[in-house]
Amino acid sequence: MDPTSEFTSIHMDAIKEIGNIGTGNAATALSRLLERIVDMDVPVAELVPIYEVSAHYGSPETPVCAVLVRTEENFSCSLIFMIEEFKADMLANLIIPMDLSGMDEETRLQIRNSALAEQGNIILGAFLNALSMITGWVLPTTAPAVARDMLGSIMDLVASMFGVIGDSAMLVKTNLHVKDLDEDLGGTLIMIPDPGSLETLLSKLGVL
Amino acid sequence: MVQPVHVGMADLVVSRHPAHLVTLGLGSCIGLVIYDQMSKTVGMVHIMLPDSREAKNIPKPGKFADTAVPLLLDELAKLGVNKSQLRAKMAGGAQMFSMPGKDSAIFAVGARNTEATLKMLSSEGVRLVAQDTGGSKGRSVEFDTDTMKFTVKTLGLGTKEL
Repeated sequence: MDPTSEFTSIHMDAIKEIGNIGTGNAATALSRLLERIVDMDVPVAELVPIYEVSAHYGSPETPVCAVLVRTEENFSCSLIFMIEEFKADMLANLIIPMDLSGMDEETRLQIRNSALAEQGNIILGAFLNALSMITGWVLPTTAPAVARDMLGSIMDLVASMFGVIGDSAMLVKTNLHVKDLDEDLGGTLIMIPDPGSLETLLSKLGVL
Repeated sequence: MVQPVHVGMADLVVSRHPAHLVTLGLGSCIGLVIYDQMSKTVGMVHIMLPDSREAKNIPKPGKFADTAVPLLLDELAKLGVNKSQLRAKMAGGAQMFSMPGKDSAIFAVGARNTEATLKMLSSEGVRLVAQDTGGSKGRSVEFDTDTMKFTVKTLGLGTKEL
């Protein structure tokens, strides 16, 4: 079945609450890592037709950076943290203690990707920790994978992953603001449950 | 120069000359064009998944390779093209994330899309003359009936004509 086709406001409220607690946790974790104040917007949880997922986030050819982790035991899903590429590099630079300017492009990219993988891992891991506290489930994650590409191409994959279970995608959107920086380092967090997982989660929460 | 028509996810568009069809930001999906060189008639579809058989309902047949290819051929037939003259070109099917170990099957949907599309083209008897598939990078594709060229753009790697 397509669980999203039968969603009621109670289900959406439950998802929103998870998004709220999860991103709150993620902001705190990022704040500790950066040793700066990190604020977050109230997360927005929405159901979007998969065919509109790409256009929903902006221009499809915007360069972005995305970090992906998976959890598989009690509740199997993929989690993606996506941020515009120039912001991703600003975020990475905050935890890279050395000067990269003398290095070649390939080495710089590797170091930045490794920093981003760690930051993404911490943000997504904190989100899952919140989910773990709510449900009592142990939710270990895989090692993070990083992609730099067009926004449309990342969302193309996201839409296909949701497309396996139906025709809607559930997106939790939030912005994390790092204080004392000129640029707003807003990122987006996306949770993609595997087929059947959303029902497992909602019944655990007692709303299905 | 005609206005470009954007072919969104699971969309299917056919047109007579003049036409300029565009799909931006393909990841694991496939951008497939089938065209008739003589009459300059073309169709493009943005395929998301390989197989419709597990889906309960199919609101957009362009979503799946096994339903998209026959529909594209039907729509081209309605414009009066001779099926034996049709040729196909395709791009996409990338694996955006690579994860070591057992997880990779979930992200190999790009490869399965490519395989399913190739199989459908061959069972429908449409000759594939060019493809740029796989790898780990997303692509934007365009087809213009002025030049009858299929252009593939990859972030950081530039543009090529197929």
